[in-house]
Amino acid sequence: MKPDALRGHLDALLLATLDGRQLHGYAIIEALQEGSGGALDLPTGTVYPALRRLERAGHVTSDWSTVGGRKRRTYELTQAGRRALQAERSAWREFTTVIDGVLGGGGRWAQQ
Amino acid sequence: MGAAVIDRYVTDLGSRLRGSRKQVRDLLTETRDSLTDATEAHVGSGLTEQEAQQRAVEEFGPVREIANEYQAELAVAYGTRTLIWLAIVLPLMHMAWEYGRMLLIGPWQDFGSVPPAWYLFIAKANDLTSGIASGVALVALVLGRVLARKYDTRLVAKAGAAIALTAVGAVLLGNLSIILATAHLDVARLLQSSPMTVATAITWVVIVRLGLLARRCLSCATIVA
Repeated sequence: MKPDALRGHLDALLLATLDGRQLHGYAIIEALQEGSGGALDLPTGTVYPALRRLERAGHVTSDWSTVGGRKRRTYELTQAGRRALQAERSAWREFTTVIDGVLGGGGRWAQQ
Repeated sequence: MGAAVIDRYVTDLGSRLRGSRKQVRDLLTETRDSLTDATEAHVGSGLTEQEAQQRAVEEFGPVREIANEYQAELAVAYGTRTLIWLAIVLPLMHMAWEYGRMLLIGPWQDFGSVPPAWYLFIAKANDLTSGIASGVALVALVLGRVLARKYDTRLVAKAGAAIALTAVGAVLLGNLSIILATAHLDVARLLQSSPMTVATAITWVVIVRLGLLARRCLSCATIVA
């Protein structure tokens, strides 16, 4: 999938990846790639500024902790982050329903 | 070979970033960790150490592009810190100066004759400037948080820097005006109390310091990595 198409959804994808768990940066990148079956082709370095942006918005908190013998910054959702994720999911369902109604029609007008 | 490819990438990235030293260090530590993790994963899938590092760096993204994204966040963080300073320091500084002035010099009305209306207007405006500048900084901080995801980070950083510069500029203008007005009316009054002369000098040092912080905000927000 093209990076430009993903950028607008990166915040929502990160919120979803952190739902119910605490992860460090690379674990988030791995989870994103795993969740998409390797189709998310985004420069991994863009994840870190996006995490900072989410932290600034109060949707994510971070803390330095030792994971696997190395000091790492780990991230988790805040209450506001969980609410934002819920809103992102509703907006996405609404969007896909609308678009699918038109795009997913299988060319029914042509068949009429 | 060690971590030569990663080292080069992180050094190049670091050399393009401006902002709080701690924030830059945190971002670079995270970057190095991420690249090391990715390298380990690629070595695990059969690449040589050198190839794995090269792949990790390529996946991370072109250093210029990544540096620009990092820089935008660093600029916002620097702007936030400066606005917090402005919101706290400006009213405290003004209150301390006014308290000292009332204690050591007395009210403006004690000039011998009542000062002209234009002087009282300048004095009042100067009194209000610090409070208003502090309030504007607070509102900008709240809006910055609420709108963090709605606007481009570079735009937020530039807006923050512009607000910080305007706030310091207004306070500077207010202070300068009251000094010039007092000098025009009764120049001796400016040097009437040595402790107040020192207090005024300290006030100016603080304003200049805040001005430099605000200017650095702008350079952090406008630099292209």
